[in-house]
Amino acid sequence: MIFSAPYFLFLYLCVVLVLYYIAPLHLRNLVLLIVSLIFYGWGEPVYIIIMFLSIAIDYTHGMLVTRCKAKGNLKGAKLAVASSMFFNLALLFFFKYWDFVARSLQAVGLNFMPILNLELPIGISFYTFQTMSYTIDVYREDARCQRNIINFGTFVTLFPQLIAGPILQYKDLDSQLEYREHTVDKFASGVQRFTVGLAKKVLLANSIGQLWDVYLATPGAQLTTAGAWLGILAFALQLYFDFSGYSDMAIGLGRMLGFEFLENFNYPYLAKSATEFWRRWHISLGSWFREYLYIPLGGNRVSKGRLVFNLLVVWAATGIWHGASWNFLFWGLYYAALIIFERFWFSKVLEKAPNWVGHVYGLFIVLVGWALFAVEDPSALVLYLQAMFGLGGAGLVDSTFFYYLRNYLPILVIAMVAATPLASNLWHKAPQRAKAVALPVLVMAGLLLATAYLVDGTYNPFLYFRF
Amino acid sequence: MSKFQSRLITALFCIYIFGFGIAQFLLPDRTFSEQENRYLTQFQAPTLSTLKDGSFMTSFENYIIDQFPLRDKWIQMKAQSERLIGKQENNKVYLGVDGQTLFTQFQSIDASDLQARVEGVNTLADNVSVPVYFSIIPDKTYVWANRLPGNAPNVDDGSTALQAQALCSDKVHWIDLYQTLQGIDVFYRTDHHWSTMGAYQAYQTLAQAMNGACTTLDISPTLVSDGFYGTTWSSSGAGWVRPDEMYTWVPESGLTGSTTVTWYHTSQPEAGKLYDTSYLEKKDKYSMFLGGNQPLAILRNPDAQGGRLLVVRDSYSDSLAPFLSLDYQEVHLYDLRYNRLSLKQYIEEHQIDQVLVLYSVSNFTTDNNLALLKR
Repeated sequence: MIFSAPYFLFLYLCVVLVLYYIAPLHLRNLVLLIVSLIFYGWGEPVYIIIMFLSIAIDYTHGMLVTRCKAKGNLKGAKLAVASSMFFNLALLFFFKYWDFVARSLQAVGLNFMPILNLELPIGISFYTFQTMSYTIDVYREDARCQRNIINFGTFVTLFPQLIAGPILQYKDLDSQLEYREHTVDKFASGVQRFTVGLAKKVLLANSIGQLWDVYLATPGAQLTTAGAWLGILAFALQLYFDFSGYSDMAIGLGRMLGFEFLENFNYPYLAKSATEFWRRWHISLGSWFREYLYIPLGGNRVSKGRLVFNLLVVWAATGIWHGASWNFLFWGLYYAALIIFERFWFSKVLEKAPNWVGHVYGLFIVLVGWALFAVEDPSALVLYLQAMFGLGGAGLVDSTFFYYLRNYLPILVIAMVAATPLASNLWHKAPQRAKAVALPVLVMAGLLLATAYLVDGTYNPFLYFRF
Repeated sequence: MSKFQSRLITALFCIYIFGFGIAQFLLPDRTFSEQENRYLTQFQAPTLSTLKDGSFMTSFENYIIDQFPLRDKWIQMKAQSERLIGKQENNKVYLGVDGQTLFTQFQSIDASDLQARVEGVNTLADNVSVPVYFSIIPDKTYVWANRLPGNAPNVDDGSTALQAQALCSDKVHWIDLYQTLQGIDVFYRTDHHWSTMGAYQAYQTLAQAMNGACTTLDISPTLVSDGFYGTTWSSSGAGWVRPDEMYTWVPESGLTGSTTVTWYHTSQPEAGKLYDTSYLEKKDKYSMFLGGNQPLAILRNPDAQGGRLLVVRDSYSDSLAPFLSLDYQEVHLYDLRYNRLSLKQYIEEHQIDQVLVLYSVSNFTTDNNLALLKR
């Protein structure tokens, strides 16, 4: 199921809210578990089994780790963590990377792995990471072991964040699973946040996404330089508003149900370097890799050579996490290269340079990065990059570009402003009384407009089916 | 946020989602959308197998969207909002600069695809002993290019027809309509079809080319409807666009009162009409011409000078045929989509004197049945 659809908003969410709030406190996690399983199974019912499997495996492993530790059996506890990681990664590998590896091997003449054509269980990259963090946290004693399987199942399946994050770490949610406050203030702020997210997704991302689709579908030979940059700018805005819109909706829905999730985005396009971009983009993924991969590898308190190695591993993993395809790996390594480059030299240059240099540099590398990310076909990617750098055959600009620029300029300007803290700053400076009137009006306007675009429903892609 | 504000926002949100959610289930479901000109998804009770393969979920999602309360209003609201934000298109329909003309976008095809299609016409000309005429009707985006948004892509620039003409064999007689169709009333603003006036202009060119002469009508067209919303309007959501006027020109029984129609809307031949005015009460008013799509219709006018003409038709020919029947004793409107028998055989059996292959450029570049011309 997805959030940005009428059946979710006007049916599923209504039923969930009623069931949740009429249920007595001690049954609310059970309600959430059941409705989350329905949410998950809606698209592919058999994959509920994976969910049960995931819950069962990680629940048992958490218990095992605790029991071993209680007995002073550190080796056993380590073994249990390793086993949990093995199961989670095996699940992820099997469903997400099997065909990719099989195809890559077949391309070099090795045919021992058959291609299975499995449909990727939605959100699998998110929840396998989440459950892995649980056993590790329990082992590190950063979190208590969850003995109640209902509560644990609720953590794994919690529908607001199930399919597109933010990736929750168990330790952040542990106490909320036992007790959380339900206040009308929290609910209203959830509504506000959800509406912002819905509007970002439906009004901005979907709208601008159509512009990107035009340029993605343009044959490489017809792609002009101006068109290629307009296209990639559209993709950058689409992905940001889609993804951060999803996170906003997740955070909002979480609040409606009494939860507080951590933030996932912090105006990524303000970044003045690749390093900073990854502190602002998909924060929950970055922290996950930092905490469970980068630091265990030794982090940055190592020799230069080892540091380069660590960064390469982390960014290769980050890249391939985004989808089982070579371009995502390249995209990850592209950031590894940039971050290494910045770390050893360029950040010192940037520090001395005026601010705008950093912004231009940041936007430039991020946009080129998105081309690697978005154009999956390698030969099309080469043509796209050639067009971006003026090496394409179609010249600088054509009349089509002016049509699309004329049509999308207003929405692009709105989106670009919305990608900065400007509106948010203005809002916080606005007089209290104006805000009091404006807030309900804005919330209702956002809901109404989003409903109109959802009911027309001609273009509403789900971008995370590969994650 | 004050307590009052929190309560207000919570209440508004809940009223909104519960209100529409409940209304959805209380309001009766519609089967057909007049505005969109299509059947709406109905509720289908889940079965074990449709739950397992997920087809219930998909149909249910569409059901909720299609039956959403005030659906038509939401669609119009979205179209308005797109217009306000400066978009010149909505749902792949261009909004003309006059604010009242709607254009379906045109997708050109590559040369090899076009060649295969023209090949069908060439083969037909080889197969039969009678002259074969071939013409392509220009798209509205070509004829009314001056009303299109500036620099709009996906329009008919006339190159498809030029290429098609170049691909024709010597046996095929090409008739050019791209120079013919001109004027402010040759198409419907809200539909892709040509208007009666446009069909009349085309008729004059076609008849001159095939017959050496054409009939000039000295009567004026008759307004039969001023409430025609075409299919382009239906996909556009542009509720602010005025409806079109519809005219008939040739009288129901021809100029001499002896024109008759045999149509095949059921598999049996029946006495038909040039204008089935019952369609004027419905959404699909263009189907007034000969009652819409059918495998075959034969117009007979014993007073005409010309012999038997077979038109390989698309829907544009339905409003053209009344004019052609002024000059031909028999006009056979033959639709490849519904006839699997040999066209050659039909031409021979019915002693056809001339064949006209006539398609709109968008139908000619998308129809999957052109290979049947070769049979």
